[in-house]
Amino acid sequence: MNAMPPPSDMRRSIFEPPAAVYPPRKPRGPALRFVLNHPNVVIGATLLVLLVAIAIFAPLLTPVDPTAIAPAKRNRPPSAEYWFGTDQVGRDLYARVLYGTRISLLVGFSVAIIASVIGLAIGLFSGFLRFADAIVMRIMDGLMSIPPILLAIAMMAFSGASVRNVIVAIAVAEVPRVARLVRGVVLTLREQPYVDAAIASGTRTPMIIWRHILPNTMAPMTVQATYICASAMIVEAILSFIGAGTPPTIPSWGNIMAEGRAIWEVKPYIVLIPAVFLSVTVLAVNLLGDGLRDILDPRGAKGH
Amino acid sequence: MLTYILRRILATIPVMVVVALIVFSLIYLDPSDPAAANAGDQATAEDIARIREAMGLNKSFGVRFGEWTWGILHGDLGRSILTKLPVSGMIAQRIEPTLSLMVLTLVLAIVVAVPMGVIAAWTRGTWIDTAIMSLAVVGFSAPVFVVGYVLIYFFALQWDLLPVQGYTPIARGFWPWLENLILPSLALGFIYIALIARITRASMLEVLSQDYIRTAHAKGVARSDILFLHALKNAAVPIVTVIGIGIALLIGGAVVTESVFAIPGLGRLTLDSILRRDYPVIQGVVLLFSFVYVLVNLVIDVIYTFLDPRIRY
Repeated sequence: MNAMPPPSDMRRSIFEPPAAVYPPRKPRGPALRFVLNHPNVVIGATLLVLLVAIAIFAPLLTPVDPTAIAPAKRNRPPSAEYWFGTDQVGRDLYARVLYGTRISLLVGFSVAIIASVIGLAIGLFSGFLRFADAIVMRIMDGLMSIPPILLAIAMMAFSGASVRNVIVAIAVAEVPRVARLVRGVVLTLREQPYVDAAIASGTRTPMIIWRHILPNTMAPMTVQATYICASAMIVEAILSFIGAGTPPTIPSWGNIMAEGRAIWEVKPYIVLIPAVFLSVTVLAVNLLGDGLRDILDPRGAKGH
Repeated sequence: MLTYILRRILATIPVMVVVALIVFSLIYLDPSDPAAANAGDQATAEDIARIREAMGLNKSFGVRFGEWTWGILHGDLGRSILTKLPVSGMIAQRIEPTLSLMVLTLVLAIVVAVPMGVIAAWTRGTWIDTAIMSLAVVGFSAPVFVVGYVLIYFFALQWDLLPVQGYTPIARGFWPWLENLILPSLALGFIYIALIARITRASMLEVLSQDYIRTAHAKGVARSDILFLHALKNAAVPIVTVIGIGIALLIGGAVVTESVFAIPGLGRLTLDSILRRDYPVIQGVVLLFSFVYVLVNLVIDVIYTFLDPRIRY
């Protein structure tokens, strides 16, 4: 059984479907094989779909308002009525945790998209315009020299707590990493003969970017975006936990943990339940990222 | 080589200038007027104008940045808005716990993570490898304060082995100092261990596939010698690079860890300053940490040229 057609058949096989050359596909083969070969992607994607569903359908999963204060019912342990118990002012933790999914996913996805788009633009700009490259890259180096969490904390301290500011603060720290990645791809591709040929034959830069650069950046950028998403969700929780992130009026996992902190030795579940949700969410995104990296770039499967 | 080292040192200057520029510009993120805030509720428009003049807020961005940088170059990080003390002195007071925590975490992480990565590479594809790498993925997914609370819960509250929180200066004895720092270092080191273990495994796998490793096997060199003398030495450069870059994680994580474990270091100083909007202190800490980070990575780069004769720039 030949995997490749014999040389004499090559020309013909371009025009005719090489039906006889490949073994007939077994039914349900490819899908099952994908699942078996890439368990990371499947587990990660399934968990993530589930979490997105929780975020969207939170109002259907609990009729309770997550911000409703009920002093008469405060500090209840988990029970049939209050699955995760209630907090110090009587708010239902189950509802709060469900609604907290929204903030984590919103921040994670927004930061990943914003940082990718801006980083892509800066990377392309820097990779194509030699005179701007040195300056832009020094600025990126400078931004990358400030530890990301510290930069986000400092930006939040100066600009004040709001979800929008959280997204901006985390994205600013991630942009240089994407820009560097894209610039690297551009510089490598510029040396490729087919890009040279395209330039020599008078193809305009936008067309070169569209045809040659973008398709080659998409794979590493997608992988990078998943890692950015995961790290953004952790940083959001950290910011909220130390009181410099999502405003306390909005239920987010970091806020719930911050509020449970004072009584956590007595009631550790108030901290641990949102912690488990956060860790599982981040794990799902990381698994997806690892799996995508293996699929999209088998050569680059070398850690971080 | 000397020219390379000189070039490398000179190249950090623009980076530091950009860092200073970013840190200085942070004050422009605050939508409120610092002069009005300083003047209080009763102030008239003239009072505010006078205070603005006195605070130097009328000057242009360039002049203000220049004066600020000039101060930093002379060791003056400004004064705290709240305590009116020099920021540099406040930082000096708080630096010991943070430095202790970070050095201990660094040592712990390297001692744990490098062997983990080597073993994972050696047992590639077996359950040991899978277990170690799964642990590494989990390490990336658990936020530092969650790890901290879980550790406190078991080691301090349930089993009563180590103190819950606090810090003892090293001047009061090595053991009390260490005892207080074990749990914080473990919590802070978790993600760092995951990072180093992963890169160690990847780098080792690449080296282990080289011809000279096969030759060493054929000559009958002992396995442990091959792993640690031949392979690890050649796999060291990416590992050391990641250790250097990962210090950014340590710095960010230290702020949170100090808050969880009530360690009175720079992280706590930062968080207290955020609540009080004490901007010069925040700027000072961010600037210091960033410079340390840049310097550490500069030193690592320079050390390479001595350690690895193949590196020529």
